[in-house]
Amino acid sequence: MKIQCENIDDLLLEGDHFSMQTAANHAKGCPACAEKIASWNEISSVAQGMQTTWQNDMLWPRIERSIRAEKRHKQSKLWQIAAAVVMLSGLGIFAWRANETLRTDQFNQRILQESAVDEVEKAEKAHLAAIDQLEKSAQPKLDEPSTPLLVSYKEKLMLLDDAIAECQANIDRNRENAHLRKQLLAIYSEKQRTLREVLREGNHVSNQ
Amino acid sequence: MHGVAPAVSLASPVITTETPNRPTRTATDDDLRLARACASGDTGVFEEIYRQHGDRMKSIAYNHLGNVSDAEDAVQETFLKVHRAASTYNGESAFGTWLYRVLINTCYDALRRRQRRIQESPIDDVITTERAVSSVDDAKRMTLRKMLNELPEQRRSVFLLFEVEGLSHAEIAQTLNITEGNSKWILFATKKQLQEKWKTQS
Repeated sequence: MKIQCENIDDLLLEGDHFSMQTAANHAKGCPACAEKIASWNEISSVAQGMQTTWQNDMLWPRIERSIRAEKRHKQSKLWQIAAAVVMLSGLGIFAWRANETLRTDQFNQRILQESAVDEVEKAEKAHLAAIDQLEKSAQPKLDEPSTPLLVSYKEKLMLLDDAIAECQANIDRNRENAHLRKQLLAIYSEKQRTLREVLREGNHVSNQ
Repeated sequence: MHGVAPAVSLASPVITTETPNRPTRTATDDDLRLARACASGDTGVFEEIYRQHGDRMKSIAYNHLGNVSDAEDAVQETFLKVHRAASTYNGESAFGTWLYRVLINTCYDALRRRQRRIQESPIDDVITTERAVSSVDDAKRMTLRKMLNELPEQRRSVFLLFEVEGLSHAEIAQTLNITEGNSKWILFATKKQLQEKWKTQS
């Protein structure tokens, strides 16, 4: 194969046995290329002599120790992660159980509260029925009040009825409000007292 | 890492003409077995790898770092990195090739650390203290080492792996994560560059 000087670089780039042989054949008749190839080969030859090794019996034990230490570190890290997972799971279960207990307690308390409210309402209804009876008895005297005092009792009872209606409306919006219930009870008591006074005043007038 | 060389005499690394085991081009079942065992920290397997690749690893590290102590540190660190990263080995390249890639990256890291240390002695000084020039061949090797130290990392690695360690371009391509053609071209350009300097040095 006939090659030119400018092809030498291509052969050196290829670098395989055949290319180098072709380059060497060309160099036989070309001193410039021969010099180039000689220094090229010299570099390779010197480089081949740079492969270096040495004996150190301590190196492997040193590496082994560091791998074992690394493995221990890795394992302890895994244990730490496992412990953290267990701890977090425990905390999660505890929190869930606590939440469940709280919800059950709240449910039970609500039932108790509702039954207490029912009791209060039952008592209120009985109280109301008694007042209604009293009101029926006093009604004729209030329809035609014979004295100024009975007129003022009538006005007072009208005011008390308005207050009862308002208080009842508020209670309907919030059945468990104990303060409103006390207030309603006080108004009913006042109405009851007033009705008794109406009846007493009526009897007093008729006796005269 | 250990910065001090062990008590065993390391003063004169021996130039060898033996060809250590070459990494195969593709991963085998054996490579995958090795990687799995490395991930689990099986020191028996690590020892097997050390026996098989240790000499070449030391040689690559020495030629990159220029002294025995740093080379041994790099080999040790490589084994630790392999232990940490073996589970990520996917068998795309031979285990040996992957091992050399980890080693070369470790050497690059060490060189960068060294460059950051202002008080660090120049690499050729370190070599000079460890190896006395005793022959013409030694002088030539010293000259070549000095010229190689001035090269960029990748060029130096391609040259060392091909010319010194005898790896093929395919193996170099896998090790350095470049193409085979690129490896050929880098080697050619590097040798051209060295040839110019070689002439003036001579």
